[in-house]
Amino acid sequence: MHIHERNPWRTLIAVSVFVVILVIGFLTMPKPLFEYEKSMDESIEALLNGEDYFYPWELEDVIANKPDSIVLFDIRDNFVFGQGHIPGAENLSASTLADPDNLERLTALRDMGVSIVLYGENELQANGPWMFFRQVGFNNIKLLLGGYEYYKANEDDLYSTIDDDAYFSGFPRFNYAEMAAPKDGSELNADQDNKPVQVRRREKTSVAAGGC
Amino acid sequence: MGPLIPNGVIGGGWDFVIAILLGVAFGFVLEASGFSSSRNLAGVFYGYNFVVLRVFFTALIVAMVGLLYFDYVGWLNLSQIFILPTFLTPMIVGGVIMGVGFVLGGFCPGTSFTGIAIGKLDALFFTIGLYLGIFGFSLAYPLFEDFFTSGDMGNVTLMEITGLPAPYFAVAFTVVALAAFWGTMFVEKRVRKNMKQYKF
Amino acid sequence: MNRNYILLTVLMLVLAVGTLFLTTDDEPKQIAPEELLQQIIQPTRYVTTDQVAKMIIQGDPSLLMVDVRSADEYDEYALPGSVNIPLEELLNEGNMGYFGVPGVKVVFISNDDIRADQTWVLTKRLGVDGTYVMKGGLNCWMQTIIEPSQPDADAPSVDHALYAFRKGAQIYFTGAESATTDDGNVEVQVRRREKTNVAAGGC
Repeated sequence: MHIHERNPWRTLIAVSVFVVILVIGFLTMPKPLFEYEKSMDESIEALLNGEDYFYPWELEDVIANKPDSIVLFDIRDNFVFGQGHIPGAENLSASTLADPDNLERLTALRDMGVSIVLYGENELQANGPWMFFRQVGFNNIKLLLGGYEYYKANEDDLYSTIDDDAYFSGFPRFNYAEMAAPKDGSELNADQDNKPVQVRRREKTSVAAGGC
Repeated sequence: MGPLIPNGVIGGGWDFVIAILLGVAFGFVLEASGFSSSRNLAGVFYGYNFVVLRVFFTALIVAMVGLLYFDYVGWLNLSQIFILPTFLTPMIVGGVIMGVGFVLGGFCPGTSFTGIAIGKLDALFFTIGLYLGIFGFSLAYPLFEDFFTSGDMGNVTLMEITGLPAPYFAVAFTVVALAAFWGTMFVEKRVRKNMKQYKF
Repeated sequence: MNRNYILLTVLMLVLAVGTLFLTTDDEPKQIAPEELLQQIIQPTRYVTTDQVAKMIIQGDPSLLMVDVRSADEYDEYALPGSVNIPLEELLNEGNMGYFGVPGVKVVFISNDDIRADQTWVLTKRLGVDGTYVMKGGLNCWMQTIIEPSQPDADAPSVDHALYAFRKGAQIYFTGAESATTDDGNVEVQVRRREKTNVAAGGC
C-alpha cells in the first residue's frame, strides 16, 4: 500500500472544503431585484393582444373622483413634471425607477391591488418602462395612450376623445405607397403645404388585433 | 462575477501572477499525488496502480460539478469561458502519440517536471527528449501543417453538438468515474496479488 | 477506510445529481432585468428619419432596416432594403440571426415608433446589442423625407440646411432612382451635407 492510498482523510477534508465553498455560494447568492415572470412568447402575445392600456377618456373619471384604486405616475423628469402634469399624478422619473424606495412603493401598490398608470411626454417615452414592469410581474401597470401631449391637447374635453382615434399608435396615417410613388420629372413640386392628414379609419375588427 | 479578468474584476496585468500561483499549486498537487514516480504513472497501463486515473477523474468531476454550481450561484459566467477549438482527427492522432509516449517514457509532460523537481534522472532525460521533440516538430511543421489544421470544428462543446444540457453530462461522467474508481480497486488487488514485489 | 470511500462516492453522486436541478428555465439567454431597465431608460436607441435616410442614400453597408409591421403592410410599401419581421414572428427560426451581428446597426421601423420600440425592448431582453428605433416611424418618414415642409424664411440656417437635405432625399426616394443621370447629383448634394451635420428635428 502506498502512503497516498492510506490517507482517505485528505480526500475527505478536500471534499468537505468543496462542499463548504458551495454552501457559501448558495448562502451569498445575490437575490435579483427583478425576475422575468413573463416568457418572451407571453410578452409578445400580450403586446399583440393590446392588453393593459389606459385610454385618455378614462382620465376624466380619475381626475374628477380621484379613486383610490388608480394611481398616476409621471415618468418624465422632475423639472418637466413641475412645469405641468396631469392633476393627481405623482412624479417617478425614469432614472429613479430602480430605486429601492420606489420599488417598495410599486410593490406595495401591487399588493394592495391598485392599478398604476404610467405616462410620459408621449406614449413612446413610457413604453419601455411599462413593458419592463409588465415583464417582471407588475401586472397592475398600465400605459396611458397618447401620453401627456395628447392629454394636454384635449384637456378641456377628455371624455369626447372616446370617439377619437388620433392617440392610437401602430396605424399608418398616410397612404405610403401613393405618397412615395415615383414622381416622373416633377422632382420639386411647388405646393409645400399639402400635408394630407388623411387618417386611415381603423376598422372595428382590427382594433383588438392591431393593438393600441 | 467571473471570469475575473475579462469582466474587469481584477486588472489584466495580474494574469502572469495568477499563472504562477496556479502553476505552483498544480505542481504541488501532482507531486503530492505521487505523480513524480514513473512507476506510479505507468502502473495504470499494467493494472497495478490506478492513481493516475483516480486523480484525474476526481479533478475532472469536481471541477465540472463545481463550475456548474459556480455558474448557478453567480460566481462565474460559463458562457464567457474560453473553449479550446476542436480539431477532430489531429486531436485523435495527437492523443495516440501522447499515450504511446506516456507508456514508453513513464511521464507525461507536466509530471516530468515534478520528477525533475525531486531530482529524478529519468524525468530529466524525458524532458530533454520533450524539448528535442518540440524543436523537431517546429522545424518539420510545414510538412504537417495541412493535417495540423484539418477538421476544425470551432469552439464547440458537447452540449452544442448533442443539444443536451450540461448537467446530464456532469451526472454521466460522475457515474462513469465513480464506477471506474470501484472497478479499478478490484483490478488493482487482483494484479498486485500476483506480483512478487511492489515498491515505489 | 472503505466506509470513507463509500461516503465520498455517495457525496459526489449527490452533488452531481444536484446539478440537474440547478437550471429550470428553457428560455433562451436573457440579460438580467436590472440591466434591461438601465438600457430602457436611456434614450440612445432612437435615430431620426434623417439619419436613416442619409445612411440609405450613402449606401451604408452597416445599416439593416427591420420592418416590424405586418406582411401585408410591408408588401404595400417598405423602405428600400428593409427586411420584414412582424412582431409575432420575432422568435421564429432564423429571425434572431439578423440581430447582434458585430458592426451592423439594426434599425426597427414601424408605422410609428411604438411597435418598433416594443421589438427593441424584446430583443434587448435577449441580449442583442446594436439595435435602434427609427423615431416617428414611417408616418414621420412621410412628413420629413417624402414630403418635407419648408421652414419659414427667417428660420435658423440649420433648418434650411436640413430642408435642403430632405429635398435631396425626396428626389432620391421618389423617383431619381430610375433616372440615372440624377444619381450623381444626389450623391454630391448629400456628401456636402456631411459637413453641416444635419440637425435632428421634425416629429
